[in-house]
Amino acid sequence: MRRYLRLWLTFLKANLLLELEYRANMIAGAALGVFWAGVSFVSVAVFYTQTETIGGWNYAQALVVLGLFVITQGVISALLYPNLQRVVEMVREGTMDFVLIKPADAQFLATLRFARYSSLVDLTAGALVILFALQQMRYSPSWSALLTFVATALAGLLTLYGIWASMAALAFWFVKIENLSELFQSLFETARFPVSAYSGVVRFVLTFVLPIAFLTTVPAQAIIGALDTPLLVAAVGIAALALAVSRWLWRRALRNYTSASS
Amino acid sequence: MAQIHVAHLRKYYQVHEKEPGLIGSLRAFFARKYRTVKAVDDISFDIEAGEIVGFLGPNGAGKTTTLKVLAGLLYPTSGEVRVLGFEPFKREHAYLRQFTLVMGQKQQLMWDLPPIETFLVNQAIYEIPDAEFKATLRELDELLELGPLLKKQVRKLSLGERMKCELAAALLHRPKILFLDEPTIGLDVTMQARIREFIAEYNRRHGATVLLTSHYMADVTALCERILVIDKGKLLYDGDFRALIERVAPYKIMRLQFDQPVSTEQLMQFGEVESNEGFTATLRVPRAQATEIALRLLAQLHPEDLTFEDPPVEDIIRAVFAGAVPAEVLSARATLASAAAAAPAQM
Repeated sequence: MRRYLRLWLTFLKANLLLELEYRANMIAGAALGVFWAGVSFVSVAVFYTQTETIGGWNYAQALVVLGLFVITQGVISALLYPNLQRVVEMVREGTMDFVLIKPADAQFLATLRFARYSSLVDLTAGALVILFALQQMRYSPSWSALLTFVATALAGLLTLYGIWASMAALAFWFVKIENLSELFQSLFETARFPVSAYSGVVRFVLTFVLPIAFLTTVPAQAIIGALDTPLLVAAVGIAALALAVSRWLWRRALRNYTSASS
Repeated sequence: MAQIHVAHLRKYYQVHEKEPGLIGSLRAFFARKYRTVKAVDDISFDIEAGEIVGFLGPNGAGKTTTLKVLAGLLYPTSGEVRVLGFEPFKREHAYLRQFTLVMGQKQQLMWDLPPIETFLVNQAIYEIPDAEFKATLRELDELLELGPLLKKQVRKLSLGERMKCELAAALLHRPKILFLDEPTIGLDVTMQARIREFIAEYNRRHGATVLLTSHYMADVTALCERILVIDKGKLLYDGDFRALIERVAPYKIMRLQFDQPVSTEQLMQFGEVESNEGFTATLRVPRAQATEIALRLLAQLHPEDLTFEDPPVEDIIRAVFAGAVPAEVLSARATLASAAAAAPAQM
């Protein structure tokens, strides 16, 4: 575990150097992050000019969900998307071979190797939105609320990683999976609103089939102190399940792997 | 047990076939037809520690597939494969730490960064202590003259420079076995020679086992005493390189230079005339009688210069592929070993 943490830090350092080679690109990426965070903010604000609550959530509470949405998007574009792209590229070009002959876990090397620092802007923007919302509510979360928030947010991140790592594993079979990640991104757009804003079937799907509710709504409930224990347990359970599925898919993928050119 | 042990290795692929055109593509989208390709079909060989073995064969012969099976990148369809006592496809870390794979056509160096960054990442992955890393890097620098290259962006390096750095990146963990797939491909002649020298020197210094595939006969001639010739997934020849030449090319090429034109008729009585341009000519003469014929020719035609050459190795390989090798040569390595032992006496 400590070994992998150290490895990950080495990767992050190498990526920082890589990104600094292309300053203009980094600045543009950061600007793009700010722009999209702004768009998300406006889209939620527009709804609340018409109504007081959506699905039982008032404006400030919905902003917490939005903040988490922006953060999650930042995590996707900082850590998950760049690796998915590389996995597809490596499977297609056969350079995955170099990953597989290394004496370290192949899934780790392939799914956490790259990072895009410009997306840190999204994380900051998201955090600011959450702080702003809490301040609007004149609410400071209790220690237990903070603790469950950290737990559910962490579970959400692991769930997210599990989903993306699973998609990356599918590249071994289907080679081109960019459309799949596009599909996820589109479905993930729904996470900018609390899941209770959606009607029955959609809500069920977003909660249990594609556990998108656990990425934003559940941690938001936690921080405003409105989370019941079953959901907390479910969040942890779903994270464990997502990780297990990604592990299983990677093992199967590697067993099936044949290089692009032989 | 040999360091590398391969017995009855088979690797079959299912490849999907597509008929040409839109209809074919549509049909393939809904119902894919599969065909079995026998990339490697019942191959056996053993390699001892410290050997440099050349793997020869045309494209698609199964060379790379075999290397990948040895590197644990492909699961064998059947057969037994053991390297350093490990089963490669299990990809145990203890095994992965002990070999390396270099592919002339693919690169592991990060394109936008200087090679040293990839080296540092590899240091972390292989958990190489700092002192050892520095010592190894110093040695590789001395052998490959990496100095100025280490801090240049990879994309700004020439192909040859990049290959030097690829080799260095692959050797930082001091592997015992080197799998080299076309390490000199696309390089100019001088750089090819540099890489060859390096491989030979590395093998001498560290006793590392080298298994290399190449299109360039010069690589094999310079480095390998032993070759494996493979075609269509079958092993056609396994043995001493020189002995193979003795067997399939029992003739030598005699190059002659005269101070006055000589007719083809005059030359014909000494051997098969390959070319005659008046002042210069080439003859093929039976290897066993080469000296005797040379003496006779010197006495009768008084050439200015007379030299012997071995036939070009490409011809020899072609002869093996064309089935010109007698069956007993292919089946019995023992025969070859004795032929190899006897060969120097004939020279």
